Amino acid sequence: MIGTPMTSPLRGRIAIPAAILAALLCGCDSKPAENTKAPAAAATPIPTEFAAVEVDLSNVKWETNLDDPPVGSEKAIRGGTFTVATSAYPLTFRLHGPDSNDLFANFNRPYATDFTLTMLHPTTDRFIPCLATHWSVSADGKTLLFKLDPDVRWSDGKPVTADDYLFAYEFLKNPLNLDPFSNQRMEDYFEGVDKIDDHTIRIRGKVESWRPLYDYSGFSPLPRHAIVLDAEWSKRDNYKPPVVVGPYTITDAVQGERVEFTRIAKWWGDGKHYFRGMYNPDKIVVRVIVEDDREFDFMKKGQLSFYNVSSARQWATEMNFDAMEKGWVKRKRVFLESPEGVSGFALNLKTPLFQSKDFRKGLQHLFNFEELNKNVMYSAYYRKASVFYGTEFQNPDQQPYAYDPRMAREFLAKAGFDKRGSDGVLVNTKGVRASFTLLYATKSFEPHLSLIQNAYKAAGVEVKLQFLDGGALFNRALEKGFDALMISMTGGYYPEPHQYFSTEFKDKPQNNNFWGFGTAETDKLIDVYRFGKVAEERVKAMHELDRIIHDEAFIILFWTSSYMRFLYRYDVDFPETYQPKRAQTALEYQTFWIDPAKTKELEDAMKAGASLPLDPKVDEDPYGVKAALEKAGAGT
Amino acid sequence: MLTLLRLDPVTRKRFARFRAIKRGWYALLILATATILSLFCELIANSRPIMVSYNGSWYFPAYRFMPMSAFGQSNEFGDEDEADYRRLKQEFAGTENWVLMPPIPFDPIENDLAHYDTPPPHPPDGRHILGTDSTGRDVLARLLYGFRISIFFALVVVLGSKIIGVGIGLMQGYLGGWFDMGSQRFVEIWSTLPFLYVVILLASIFEPSFALLVIVFIAFDWIGITYYMRTEAYREKAREYVQAARAMGASHFRVLFVHLLPNCLVPLVTTIPFAIIGGIFGLTALDFLGYGLPVPTPSWGQLVDQGLQSGNRGKLWLSLSPFVAIVATLSLVSLIGESVREAFDPRLYVRYE
Repeated sequence: MIGTPMTSPLRGRIAIPAAILAALLCGCDSKPAENTKAPAAAATPIPTEFAAVEVDLSNVKWETNLDDPPVGSEKAIRGGTFTVATSAYPLTFRLHGPDSNDLFANFNRPYATDFTLTMLHPTTDRFIPCLATHWSVSADGKTLLFKLDPDVRWSDGKPVTADDYLFAYEFLKNPLNLDPFSNQRMEDYFEGVDKIDDHTIRIRGKVESWRPLYDYSGFSPLPRHAIVLDAEWSKRDNYKPPVVVGPYTITDAVQGERVEFTRIAKWWGDGKHYFRGMYNPDKIVVRVIVEDDREFDFMKKGQLSFYNVSSARQWATEMNFDAMEKGWVKRKRVFLESPEGVSGFALNLKTPLFQSKDFRKGLQHLFNFEELNKNVMYSAYYRKASVFYGTEFQNPDQQPYAYDPRMAREFLAKAGFDKRGSDGVLVNTKGVRASFTLLYATKSFEPHLSLIQNAYKAAGVEVKLQFLDGGALFNRALEKGFDALMISMTGGYYPEPHQYFSTEFKDKPQNNNFWGFGTAETDKLIDVYRFGKVAEERVKAMHELDRIIHDEAFIILFWTSSYMRFLYRYDVDFPETYQPKRAQTALEYQTFWIDPAKTKELEDAMKAGASLPLDPKVDEDPYGVKAALEKAGAGT
Repeated sequence: MLTLLRLDPVTRKRFARFRAIKRGWYALLILATATILSLFCELIANSRPIMVSYNGSWYFPAYRFMPMSAFGQSNEFGDEDEADYRRLKQEFAGTENWVLMPPIPFDPIENDLAHYDTPPPHPPDGRHILGTDSTGRDVLARLLYGFRISIFFALVVVLGSKIIGVGIGLMQGYLGGWFDMGSQRFVEIWSTLPFLYVVILLASIFEPSFALLVIVFIAFDWIGITYYMRTEAYREKAREYVQAARAMGASHFRVLFVHLLPNCLVPLVTTIPFAIIGGIFGLTALDFLGYGLPVPTPSWGQLVDQGLQSGNRGKLWLSLSPFVAIVATLSLVSLIGESVREAFDPRLYVRYE
C-alpha cells in the first residue's frame, strides 16, 4: 500500500482505513467523482514489460540502515499452529478493490501490502530496509531511488523485479481497480515510477516533502504474472489466494468457518536481519466467530491462541475464569505508544460564551477525569495532555488540566460569571446564563456525560446534551454550527496542524478547524512545521504550538488507553518486550511463537485438569509508557 | 362535552356499566391515583427536602434552588452553591432547626457515588431500595419520574391527536365531497411517512424535548381515529336529528360538535386507552433507541437499555424494575380499555325492530 500523510505510513492495515475515514470525514483529499472516467483506461491492458530509463547512478549516495535491532526475538521457535478469531468471513481475499478493506485486511495485509520498499522500525522509528536494500533521496525530497533486494521472491517462487513495481503503479492508477482512493492517491502524490534496471527503480513524487520516505516508500509490488486487470478482475480474483511477498499464503478456506494460512518453507526473508524471530508458526488459522462473547468463550476453553480484550469491563470483571486460574490461559496488558488523533470536547470559539479564555479554562478545570475513570471506565484509562499525543510533537512539559473546582470557579468569576441565578446557574451582569449545548453521537458515552453534566451543574454551569446521529454530528462540526461537541479523529505520526488550527480555515465551513482557531503567531509555527528544513526547528515549533493550543483551552481532551490488552494460551510466547512500541494490533508485527514443549505441557494439564505455573505479572511496560503516564499524574 | 355526556342517558348507562366492571374500575382508580400522586414526585423522591425549619422560618425548597447561604451553610468554595440538605440534616440534629426529607431522599439525576467504593451500578440495599443505575442514580426515583413523564406524555399526545383526528374525521364524513376526497388523499400520503426516520431527522436538527416529541407523535397519531370518525359521521349525518338540527338553523359547526359528536363517541372512547398504551410504549422505545428525551431525563426506555447492555446482563435490578413498571402500567391501562370496550359494546343496547 501507499503510505499517506494522514496516518501511519508503511505497515499498512491501520493506515488505509484511517486514511479513508479521514478523507471521508474531512472531504479534503478525495475527489472520487473524477474516477468515473474509466472506459478510456479500460481499453489498454496494463503492460507487464517496461522499458528501462537511462540514469547515471555513479554519483548516487546510497543509504541503508542495518544498525537497529531485529523486530523479533532470538529465542523464537519455528513451528506450531496459531489460532485466532475474526467476527466475519472475509468478503474477499483480494488486497485491492471492493471490500478489500474489511476486517480480514488485518490478517491478509501483514503478508502482502505491508511489505514495502522501506519500513519504519516499529520501535526505533527509523527507516529500515524491507524490499529495498538501499535508497537515496534527492535534496527536494521529490525523487527517490531504490535498490531492490534481489532475493525477494513471490510466494509462487518467481523473482520480484522492477517490472512488478511499475505494474503495481499502473494498477493502482487504473480506475478498473475500483478503488477511487488509491487512484486519487497516485494522482495527487506520484509523478511516475521508472525502471532503471531489473533491481533499481526511481519514484518521482509530486509533492515536495521533508518526509519523503514516509510519503513515497510505502509502496509494494504486485505480481504482474498473476493479475490481469480488466472489468472481470474483481470478481474473478475474489476468492483466489493472492500471490504475495510475505511468508504465508492462504492454503485452505471454508466459507463462513475459517481461513488457513501456511508458512512458506523456504521464505526469502528468513535470513534477513530485521525479520529474525518473526513469522514463526507453521500455520495461522483464522476462525470465524461472529459474537465477541462467543469468541471469549472459545478462549476460556483454550481453543484460541490469542484473544484481544476490547472492553475495560471485561478486563476488570471477567478475568477469573477456570482456565485463567489454572494457568492454561494467561493475560497481559502491554503499554505501547501510538499516535492518536484529537478526541474530546471541542468548544466553538464563535460561541459568545466561549470567547472568554477564562471561561474555557473554567470548563477545563471542572472536567473530573478521575471520577469518570473510577466510576464508569474501570480505572482503565489515562488522561491525554496534548492534541499531538503519541508523536514527538507533543510538548513534553505539558500537564493535563487538573480537576480543580476552586480554580474553575475563579476562572469563571474572572469571565464575569460570579453570581447564581434563581435556578442555580451562573449569570453575568448582562444576564447571560452559563449554559451551552453539547452534541454527541456515541450513546455508550451517556454515563460519562451525565456525570460530567452533574459536576458542571454543581459549579453553576448548565450543560445541555443533544444526541445526534454520527453523520449529522460531523456535518454540524464541519459547518461550525454548534456550541460544543464530542469529537474523535484519527491521527498519524505526523500531525496535520494546518488542517486543524490554521487561520486559512478559521472562518470557513467544511474543514477540520472545527473550533475556528488560528492566529498569525500559530500560523507561523505551523509553517515552520510544514516547510521547515531542520527537524529540530519543526519539533520546537510544534511544541510551542501545542503549548498555545493547550493554553487557549478550546479542546477538553479525553483519555487514552495506550496499551494492548490480550489473553493468550499457555504455549504462546512473546519477545521480552511483547510488542514493538508502535504496534496497533497484535498481528501487525508477528513476533510471537508457539513453544512445542509448552504445548505438550498444556495438553497434559488440560487432560488431567491440572494447574500450570501462573504468571502473576499482568502489566508490562517495556518502553516506560506507563511510567510516564503515571508520572503525569493522569491515571491509576 | 361533559355536560352533554351527562345529559345523554345511553352514555350514562355505559358509564354505570363500566363502574360495574370491577377490574376496570379499580384499575382506573389505581392509575388515576398514581398519576395524581406522580404530580408530586418532587415531594416523594428528591435530594431537596419537603420542608426546612430554620431559625423559626419555614422553607419549601423542593421546587427551587436555594443557596447554602440561606441556611447558614457553606463549603470550601463559599456559600453560593446549592445547599447540601443531607449534610444539613446532620448539622441540624440536636438543634431546634430541622429538615424533612422526602421518603426517597434522592433525585433521579444525582450520582450517588461517594458513598460506595465500587463503581456503579450498585445492587439494591437499604440506601437505594431498587439499587442504582450505571452512573449511580437511584433506580426507584428514576422509575417514579419516568412514570410521570410517560403517562403525561401519553395523555397529552392522545388528547392532541384525538382532537385533531376527531375534528378532521367528522368533517370528512359530514362534509363529504371534495373535502373528503382531498383530505383522504392527504391522510393516505401522510400515513406512509416513516415515523422513526422523521424522528431521527428532527432530532438531528432540533434538540429533542418533551414538546417536540409531543408534536411529532401527534403529527403521526391523529390519523388512525379519522377513519372511524369519518364512517361514523357518514352514517349519522343521514339521521333525522341531524336534519332537524339543520332545519332549525344550526350551523355546521354546531351540528358537528354538538349533535354528531356525542353520537359518534364509541370508537373514540374505546380506542383511547389503547392509544395511551401506544404513547407510553412509543416514548419508551424512542428512549431505548436514544432518540427520545435528552439525557439525563429519567426514562424507562433508557433503563431497559442499560439493563440490556452486555456488562449489565447479570444486574437484574436494572432490567427487572423498568420491566415490572412497564408491564404494570400497561396492564392497568389495558384493563381499563378492555372494560370500556365491554361497557360500550353496542350489542347490549341495539334493538332489532
